Amino acid sequence: MKRKNHYAFVIDVARCIDCRACQVACSVENHVPMENTRIWVQDLGVQGEFPNLQHIFVPYNCMHCEHPPCTEVCVSGATYKDKDTGLVLVDQDACIGCGYCVDACPYNVRYLDKKRGVVDKCNACAQRLEVGLEPACVATCIGGSRLFGDLNDPVSKASVALQNARNIVRLDYEANGHDTDPNIYYINLPNMEQLNMPELFQPLVSQSGALPRAPKYTLSEQGWKHVAVPLLAAGIGASFLVQAIYFTKQLIEGEKEFEE
Amino acid sequence: MANKTLSRRDFLKVGGAAGGAMLLGSFVAPPIAQAARRLGSLDANGDGYIPTMCEMCVWRCGVLAKVEGGRIVKLEGNPEHPHSRGRLCARGQSGLMNTYDPDRVLKPLVRVGQRGEGKFRTASWDEALDIVADNMLKIKQNYGPEAMVFSSTHNLSQVQFENLLNGFGSPNYGTQRSLCFNAMVTAFSLTYGVEEPARNYDEVEFILLVGRNLTEAISTSETAELVEAISRGAKLVYLDPRYTKTAAKASEWIPIRPGTDAAFLLAMIHVIVSEELADCEFVKKYVLGCDDIVEAMQPYTPQWAETITGVPASTIDRIAREFAAAKHKALAHPGWRTSNFINSFQTERAIATLNALSGNVLTPGGCLAAESPEAASIGLGKPPQPPYPRISALRLDGVPWKYPLVPLKLGVFQELRDAILSGQPYQAHGWLVARQNPVLSLPDRARTLQAISKLDFLVTVDIIMNDTSWYSDVVLPEASYLERYDPLHIVDRKIYLRQPVVEPQGEARSALWIYKQLGERLGLGDFFQYEDEEDYIRQQLAPLNLDFNELRIKGYLDPGVAQEEREIVFNTPSGKIEVYSETLGKAGFSPWPTWEDPVYPRPGEFYLLTGKVAQHTQFGTQNNQLLHKYQDEPRLWLHPEPAASLGLKDWDVVEVTSQVGSVKVPVKITQAIRPDCVYLTPGYGHASKGLRTAYQVGANASDLHVTYTDPISGGQALSQTFVTIKKA
Repeated sequence: MKRKNHYAFVIDVARCIDCRACQVACSVENHVPMENTRIWVQDLGVQGEFPNLQHIFVPYNCMHCEHPPCTEVCVSGATYKDKDTGLVLVDQDACIGCGYCVDACPYNVRYLDKKRGVVDKCNACAQRLEVGLEPACVATCIGGSRLFGDLNDPVSKASVALQNARNIVRLDYEANGHDTDPNIYYINLPNMEQLNMPELFQPLVSQSGALPRAPKYTLSEQGWKHVAVPLLAAGIGASFLVQAIYFTKQLIEGEKEFEE
Repeated sequence: MANKTLSRRDFLKVGGAAGGAMLLGSFVAPPIAQAARRLGSLDANGDGYIPTMCEMCVWRCGVLAKVEGGRIVKLEGNPEHPHSRGRLCARGQSGLMNTYDPDRVLKPLVRVGQRGEGKFRTASWDEALDIVADNMLKIKQNYGPEAMVFSSTHNLSQVQFENLLNGFGSPNYGTQRSLCFNAMVTAFSLTYGVEEPARNYDEVEFILLVGRNLTEAISTSETAELVEAISRGAKLVYLDPRYTKTAAKASEWIPIRPGTDAAFLLAMIHVIVSEELADCEFVKKYVLGCDDIVEAMQPYTPQWAETITGVPASTIDRIAREFAAAKHKALAHPGWRTSNFINSFQTERAIATLNALSGNVLTPGGCLAAESPEAASIGLGKPPQPPYPRISALRLDGVPWKYPLVPLKLGVFQELRDAILSGQPYQAHGWLVARQNPVLSLPDRARTLQAISKLDFLVTVDIIMNDTSWYSDVVLPEASYLERYDPLHIVDRKIYLRQPVVEPQGEARSALWIYKQLGERLGLGDFFQYEDEEDYIRQQLAPLNLDFNELRIKGYLDPGVAQEEREIVFNTPSGKIEVYSETLGKAGFSPWPTWEDPVYPRPGEFYLLTGKVAQHTQFGTQNNQLLHKYQDEPRLWLHPEPAASLGLKDWDVVEVTSQVGSVKVPVKITQAIRPDCVYLTPGYGHASKGLRTAYQVGANASDLHVTYTDPISGGQALSQTFVTIKKA
């Protein structure tokens, strides 16, 4: 059944300058506690040997999956995939803070707000969408890297960007017959033909438990920087697939026909 | 003791007085909310958006401040402002935390302990202002007005600050300029007669950035334009010894040897003029020196430059041809902070020359405009004031008696500090610092602290207890940029307003108010003929017959000034672009852009590079918790090769030692820097315990920086400090 909207983030990787305006904007807009964050910019590190170097930044947040593992484990029904928009949301009045969804998310984009005892995550700034504003991260993105829109609408910014993309990549997750089918589309990866894709994205889904940014922090004993990079090891046996997706008309129309 | 971290939810608990006012807000709204309701910006509940202007850096983006019940809850880039275009950078987005910083100074403070001990008592404004005025007048009486030093950094209220010092009669004025852009401004003033030419990316095809790290030293609209141009396919060639995030976006990164940019650029000029690749008609008509330039540039072959820069001659030759081929769609960016080496002035002259040869200055659609971005023929009014008293004392910063070509308004701040210390040519006794942190920003912190110890009196105006306030005798709390008015700002022939969106917290007051109060106590009331901030702005608008309320609602006004079509005459002695400058020649310097060999480190020494991260502005934002949240820990960048020979691993703490000081800092071992360089982000290592977020985070680069001054532009050479490293 076709939804009213098929919201998705489209991220033009070539345009991200890792300035972190999106993160600050999100923190303020969504009252994110100092020790947490809802969105990240993954720094893949300087690669290559001096002076032939490459440095790529990959913004990410909740992938608003078509098949979100988090909703399946939610015992209170607080976490749900919205029928109209496709956004994965948390009804914090219903959330009991058990944290199952935090563990179930293969992308580790949920956190338990300890003070309030509820789970929080990117809601694509649903409160802004309601009044016709873009998500805070998208609205302020200096390089125009973060885009958001309705893939059911062929002239939305997101659809247009996908139509014009040089290449399209998603971070799909498959395990035990489960396929997340994420709704963040990465476009325009530089030097795509030279990149070893799975290796490139390895740090995003580190199996080793190593943090992508060094776990040093300097401000408070509460160590919010420590928690601000919660890319812990994914579940044993799970594997991430980096899918190169080639744009098809069906994609825009919301029919999930992807080639891998 | 308050918790160091502050969640957004805690905002409501902070700042007792303001919080109290807010709770009553729906019954008795404070004046700003009342006014905003009348204007329609806020609804009956006190919620809505008020347009104003950012001050997290000097780019001055337009802001829409979302206010709920007397609190700022979000800042948006104003889509109507040409500098923000709906966007704000990380610093701009964090701006409300600047206002709600738990370490705000909210009452005037008077020192009770030793200087630097951090013991203060609170005082009323009357008492604090009386103390400041008494001390200033005592110094004036005993030693003359010149014994009082004034300093302040780039801000919209500076015009009234300047009234304070000029009215007082002191020639001694310190700004950040010599630590920042003296080389650029002096070179472009001499060559084009314009301080900072505007850049135009609309049709740019070839961009040459010489150390202009635009994706980390962000100017929102310009950074956005650069990314847009790159996405469109423009070529970006980036010269920097460090692989910055701008290098990551460049088509070509050239890790040039520090201090040799001018050699690279002179060789480009050599190729372009000797092979006649330039637009000859244009050059002949508008450029002074075109007849002899081939000869003047003759020694600077790409082969010569290769030996100096380490960049292959073939690369320089190719880039010169590509630059020339792009014609007026090429842009050699003038740069901004150009205080790197004492030859940085020559680098800037070479950049000015390359642009002249491309014809980009005068061609429609060209990438450089020989006018300042803020230039406009809008005749704003100003409160009346008498002429300034005549000043006969020498300037302590050596302008012009020691530095004849340094523009008076730029000055040489580091020299001023040294004169306070040496007492030559006379001893300064007092220092008024406004919105500036020289203890951290000037090179050689130990020397700055020594200079301060020679003063009878030090007073600072700031919103937080920065390092210089920490050593002050009196601290006057300024309202934050979201709590106050400033004089108007003109961009692209429109008038923009900074206005308060919430009440000032505590007893903080605007700079316009503070300077007026102080001025009146110093007997300078005639220089401050405005009732209050709104009256000041009304007087500015008066000659244009524009409506203040409309300005407050929209945040800007368009007085309908058309872009002037005028004959092209450059504001130089010859009226042409002076690649050949007689002014320079007469002052005893080379009239041509020329090569000045810099000093090189000895074996075992590294160049200490300085730079920017996108999350901070110089020395003033490190205490902002929202920025602190998303910054990386400052570490010393070091290439793996020297790291291996020094036996260093990533995160090892090292002792870095220069001629003047030493700091301990963890290393970041990275391919992203030349093996002969190390890099440390400035602005860290705050000494003030009044900055509970920033205190002792990271190391302070100014502990290491040696004071070197370019004799032409007066710029401090910040990358000319060499250091040794050993495991701590």
